[in-house]
Amino acid sequence: MNEEELFYAWLDGELEGKEAEQVAARVAADPALQAKSEQHRRVEAQIRGTFDPILQEPAPPPQFSSVNVLDFQAKRSEREARRASFGLPQWAAMAATLAIGIVAGQFVGNRSGAPIESRDGRLVAAASLDRALDAQLASAEGNGRVRVGLTFRDRNGGICRSFTDDGMSGLACREGQDWRVEGLFAAPLGQQGDYRMAAGEDPRLAALVDERISGEPFDAAAEQAARDADWR
Amino acid sequence: MTSPLPFDSELAAVWPRLRRFAYALARDAADADDLAQTTAEKAFKSFDQFHAGTRFDSWIFRICRTVWIDTIRSRSRRGAHEAPPEAAESLGHDPTSATEAAIDLGKAMAAMQRLPEEQREVVALILIDGFGYRETAEILDQPIGTVSSRLVRGRQALLAMLGEG
Repeated sequence: MNEEELFYAWLDGELEGKEAEQVAARVAADPALQAKSEQHRRVEAQIRGTFDPILQEPAPPPQFSSVNVLDFQAKRSEREARRASFGLPQWAAMAATLAIGIVAGQFVGNRSGAPIESRDGRLVAAASLDRALDAQLASAEGNGRVRVGLTFRDRNGGICRSFTDDGMSGLACREGQDWRVEGLFAAPLGQQGDYRMAAGEDPRLAALVDERISGEPFDAAAEQAARDADWR
Repeated sequence: MTSPLPFDSELAAVWPRLRRFAYALARDAADADDLAQTTAEKAFKSFDQFHAGTRFDSWIFRICRTVWIDTIRSRSRRGAHEAPPEAAESLGHDPTSATEAAIDLGKAMAAMQRLPEEQREVVALILIDGFGYRETAEILDQPIGTVSSRLVRGRQALLAMLGEG
């Protein structure tokens, strides 16, 4: 830094020790430099003062957790849905497969016991699927038909779990107290009767997991710890 | 019912400062709000590239600056809205500004606009936001000496425009 730059760096509190002392001595001995530092301090405080009220303005930040996460994902699906023009809702397009018409009928609904519900425009796990995602560890043998596969943190830091449930596999991510269904895939026809495929084996599900995962999937201990922490 | 995800919390914490930075870079309020919004979206989409443990504010300010540079470039490619290239040379010759002690936001933004881009961003980061020289150098990916000399020129120009002479 040249002498001028040193002066300004001193003014900004960027100098330390001996360097700072030297500039301070130089300024103390020079009325012109004193005036200059006063002038800069005053004008620069004024400039800050004009920009600072922006900090207080009631302009809330955009939010991405609740809507946009799925929206990005849904864009592609929306296009596919339009192309297919079945008039199906977005979630159905997400599970783009020949079997979806049949499977979704038994899967998604607001009748009691349906494992996936549409709530406030979102698809969330319900009934047995919700309970399994809340409580079941991947290692659990269990008698229920739901199998939980991978548990991991996504790129936003939320916890997601992949699952299979009676002919479907999918991915659900924690949102508040819900498990929001982020992807749903029907097993290929003919494999639905005894669908015991480990979650993640469906290539579409694997691709979705790949897209979302940050780091490695949880091991058994991390999975248990996450459950103890209510999947936060 | 929806608990905020880390990105939203990080963004919320830095949002007022990010807006202020956008106002310091941009020409007017509409541009500034667009800039802040676009920055937030870009940051969200590339949040997986953010290294936990490093400063989120530096990271998102850097994105903001990149978005702004892209905006200016695409505008000047279209030939619209570009700042006159002689703006830097004409600093200090505004007869109306030097006499008034109090300045408002419009005047301060106008003065900032008359700085060359590379001085404006340094002034915005250091004098307005309060980043240190080193953090600023990291955000801008410039040597600290470059930051320091741009800051000297930028603040001298501002003083000439807004100071009492």
